[in-house]
Amino acid sequence: MKVSLTWLNNYVSLKGIEPKTLSEAFTLKSQEVEDLFPLVDADHLTIGKVIDCRSHENASSLSVCDVDTGDATRQIVCGADNVAAGQKVVVALPGSRLAGGMEIEKTEIRGVESNGMICSLNELGIDEKYHYEDGIHVLDPSAPVGTDALEYLAFNDTVLELDLTPNRADLLSMHGVAYETAAIFNRNLSISDPELITAEEKNQVDISTETDGCRSYYGRVLDNVSIGPSPRWMQARLIAAGIRPINNVVDVTNYVMLETGQPLHAFDYDRIGTGEVVVRDAEEGETFITLDDETRTLKRGDVLITNGEKPIAIGGVMGGAQTEVTEGTSSILLESAAFEPRRIRRTSARLELKSESSLRFERGIDPQRTRYALDRAASLIAIYASASVRDGVQYVDNQAKGSKPVDLSLSTLNKVLGSAYKSSEVRETLNRLRFPYEEEDGLFTVHVPSRRQDVNTYQDLIEEIGRLQDYNALPDTLPTTLSTGALSARQKMRRRIRRTLTGLGLDEVMTYVLRDKARVSDLTVSDADPVELSKPLSRDRHALVLTPLQGMLDVAAYNKNRKEDRLHIFELGKRYGLKAEKERLSILMHGPYRHRRWRKTPETDFYTLKGVLEALQESLNLPSFTYERKTLDHYHPHQTALLKVDGELVGHIGKLHPEYASGYGLEDVYVGELDLDVIESLRRTDHAYAPISPYPGVERDIALLVDEETPAQALKETIAASLPKRLKQSHVFDVYTGERIEEGKKSIAIRLTLADPQGTLKSEDIDALISKVIEALTKEHGALQR
Amino acid sequence: MDVKDLNKRIKTLEEQLIQALEEVESQHDLQQVKSRYLGKKAEISQLMRHMKDIPDDDKPAFGKAVNEGKQRFTELIEAKREEIRKAEVERKLRAERIDLTLDAPDFTPGSVHILNQIVEEIEDLFIGMGYRVKEGPEIETDEYNFEKLNIPKDHPARDMQDTLYIDDEHLLRTHTSPVQVRTMLEYGGEKPVKIICPGKVYRRDDDDATHSHQFYQIEGLVVDETTTMSDLKGTLLKVARAMFGEDREIRLRPSYFPFTEPSVEVDVTCANCDGAGCSVCKHSGYIEILGAGMVNNAVLKSSGYDPKRYQGFAFGLGIERIAMLRYGIEDIRHFYVNDLRFNRQFR
Ligand SMILES: [Zn+2]
Repeated sequence: MKVSLTWLNNYVSLKGIEPKTLSEAFTLKSQEVEDLFPLVDADHLTIGKVIDCRSHENASSLSVCDVDTGDATRQIVCGADNVAAGQKVVVALPGSRLAGGMEIEKTEIRGVESNGMICSLNELGIDEKYHYEDGIHVLDPSAPVGTDALEYLAFNDTVLELDLTPNRADLLSMHGVAYETAAIFNRNLSISDPELITAEEKNQVDISTETDGCRSYYGRVLDNVSIGPSPRWMQARLIAAGIRPINNVVDVTNYVMLETGQPLHAFDYDRIGTGEVVVRDAEEGETFITLDDETRTLKRGDVLITNGEKPIAIGGVMGGAQTEVTEGTSSILLESAAFEPRRIRRTSARLELKSESSLRFERGIDPQRTRYALDRAASLIAIYASASVRDGVQYVDNQAKGSKPVDLSLSTLNKVLGSAYKSSEVRETLNRLRFPYEEEDGLFTVHVPSRRQDVNTYQDLIEEIGRLQDYNALPDTLPTTLSTGALSARQKMRRRIRRTLTGLGLDEVMTYVLRDKARVSDLTVSDADPVELSKPLSRDRHALVLTPLQGMLDVAAYNKNRKEDRLHIFELGKRYGLKAEKERLSILMHGPYRHRRWRKTPETDFYTLKGVLEALQESLNLPSFTYERKTLDHYHPHQTALLKVDGELVGHIGKLHPEYASGYGLEDVYVGELDLDVIESLRRTDHAYAPISPYPGVERDIALLVDEETPAQALKETIAASLPKRLKQSHVFDVYTGERIEEGKKSIAIRLTLADPQGTLKSEDIDALISKVIEALTKEHGALQR
Repeated sequence: MDVKDLNKRIKTLEEQLIQALEEVESQHDLQQVKSRYLGKKAEISQLMRHMKDIPDDDKPAFGKAVNEGKQRFTELIEAKREEIRKAEVERKLRAERIDLTLDAPDFTPGSVHILNQIVEEIEDLFIGMGYRVKEGPEIETDEYNFEKLNIPKDHPARDMQDTLYIDDEHLLRTHTSPVQVRTMLEYGGEKPVKIICPGKVYRRDDDDATHSHQFYQIEGLVVDETTTMSDLKGTLLKVARAMFGEDREIRLRPSYFPFTEPSVEVDVTCANCDGAGCSVCKHSGYIEILGAGMVNNAVLKSSGYDPKRYQGFAFGLGIERIAMLRYGIEDIRHFYVNDLRFNRQFR
């Protein structure tokens, strides 16, 4: 809501209140102030009369004018096409300043002296949307030469723009803003009743409603309307409020809407034809031409104003082309009505016809002002369009208009706010708000006026008192509720994952969840239909990811493009489904890891990522993973595995298929993913203690010749199974294929650490154990000892 | 040869030894010198043969002189040996001299995403005050995201949050408030609630420097028989100071949220100008950081709490905004682009 301070001053005296003070007070006690600005940011503008206007000798597009500015006649060069002798115009004298900070000086234009500038409305900073003018602004012939032009145009105003919250429908009116200002500053308020003189002819329009979408409908008929421009002050106030002036009738309806918050509509009464108004629900599929000449298809739920036969307006949203007020209109039907807010909201949203009127209907209007606004508009049209108002109002009205009692006790107020207000302070605040009340033993029964549709409960009243008393005066205390705070197991685990992986040098990323549907399944182990938005946010943001890896790949590509080759990143994200959101940890690695810079650093390979996953496995106290070779779309066919624990799928690890990675400008990308639900269920939370054995372990190396395809993991499993209680650990320390090794075979060397917790192993025991292992390896894997 | 001659001779030999030692550079050379001056065939060893020609009275003095001479020779040689050993150690160490200024291998730890760092910081602050951290689904129902929060269908407040719908019933949550509702229902309307709810939320917004369709929010909720707006104010002061410094002040302004009544927006004094007014705070001296209020009775009711007995406060803040204010980050998209040159600044 843009509030003209000149206008506001009509209802509540702003004497002694600087605009800035007003603005700060609104911010602290009422609504946020979006802006505070002069309607026209210019000065030293004078009304001049063009005495002579001739062509510029050096430039045919320019005119040279002699302009009487009261104190002198000045020669001014003007570039506008529409300048002509005899016009009254706005002159910016040398030394004046125009909108946008332009300074006017005495100058020479193409060899001709120019002592100022003849202004267009644009140059005053009045946006084009408020007028259709192309050239200079031509004033009424009666404009007094030599006087202040801004004052004459009523543009010497300041505008307070409020950023209204949707509950404060009352502040969509100047009256509401006046009540608010009076409450904040504890000032008097003067809002007078309309003075209406009616003709003898009776208003006999027949108004009825057949729908609960219309709460009330008031109509007056005015005759002998003379359509023309509205007065300058009214136009200026409309412009200040952000509404384009059109003609006296339309302007009055808008002006009164701004004044009271009650939208009005004027029909060409003769073109209604039937002398009848019937409000009804629209039929499904019914069509209607609105006054912007668009054909609208209606739905049940839309409210239609008809003449008993045909529609003449979509209630609360837009009038019809057929009954529009035009230059030739002589009688009008003025409508002041109230519609069901939800219906207006739905209709205006569907038809994309949001307007100042629909906004007010949606938020709810003061039922007390429907009649008031009608009479006020009629009185203004009578004055400014020389109309005569037929006697009487026709209406239907189903609205409750009384005030509603709301109870609030002083103790509740203080219990909720944590304050120590006294009855006198509550009384004083209610008085300022102009809320009538009764008080008995600290219980206030407040009769909330109908203009405050937002105040319905004791909580609402607490807010009214709290804000006007100033929340900042409340003490700073903490809740007295006793409780213990803690993270859940999952939350602790996530933090541990973060600390472990960042400790290993990986950077955490956070990526967008919404992505291109075509790609969200690319890197998953199991496909699923992604969840999609009913209306995409954009072409590449309409489905929810099934793995964070998709976004991480974009991160990798982005950074690679910027010459970063150490890409070791992870994200704690989700696999999104309509039924469940499964948490995932995803890791992506590429490029030199633990970079040695001036020495050779090995590039990240499968085993680097495997090492990171196993470090995490240790850190989270998880059982060892087994690696099950797997072919997955978009992954390297020979470097991809499912991670399992006791046959349960924990996640996967793999190199991206080179062709897929190259689509992102990448190569040699390794990714892994773990399912946090499974991980959490597998964590060993107990730490079983075993004393450290005093007997040293013995290391023995065995070298085997096996099929190339035999996984090391399988050999180690066999070793472990054949050496219960004696094997401390085993690890592969050499793998060799090539020369001197048979085709299809590999040589693999494994170091075993053996120990007996009860004593030192004797050399013959060790030999026996080794032959046992070899025997098992030969039997299960056809291994030959080398 | 008498004792006097002997001493003279030993002295000469000693001088020769000193001379010879000066030229010795290795243990090997030293060994040769040693056998030359102290070996069986060395002159000093041979001198004992003259003993028989010495008068008996002088014999002890003669023997003593020879032994002392041998003793000194040994000391000289051993001193040289130690000198050579030290020199060799020195040489070895010298060979190990390195450029101390060359780069170390990269063991830099990675960075926790700055938004998660701030979330953890806020979580820890509230855990210290006895709050639990509660989470919930990002795909929500209209009922939990709106209706139970006093935002029925067609309510004008729905315009405040442009929603990403999945179907008529499901949507991407526009705030983490549904977690509050879910928690209250879980608690069954009987025990006090003291929680914070961090999480991703979504709005239909075109991404630019200050708007993001996805962002990170933390909301807090306390419901008990005695929870007051002053408690809210004191709590928010703690948050503001933890986030922006102990000398910050806050300011509450009236606002509107359907799920709270009264509702406020909370500003913190601008850290850049200390409240005097500058371009960061648009010359107001204050910066808006969060929205809050007393829980609307309609929400308590829809969540199974009796408003006659319980009252509560709630607040919500955007993590990106906190980070942007704290570090002067100019573009919200940085958080989701993950340019590692950005992420790694927050280790
Ligand atoms: Zn500042």
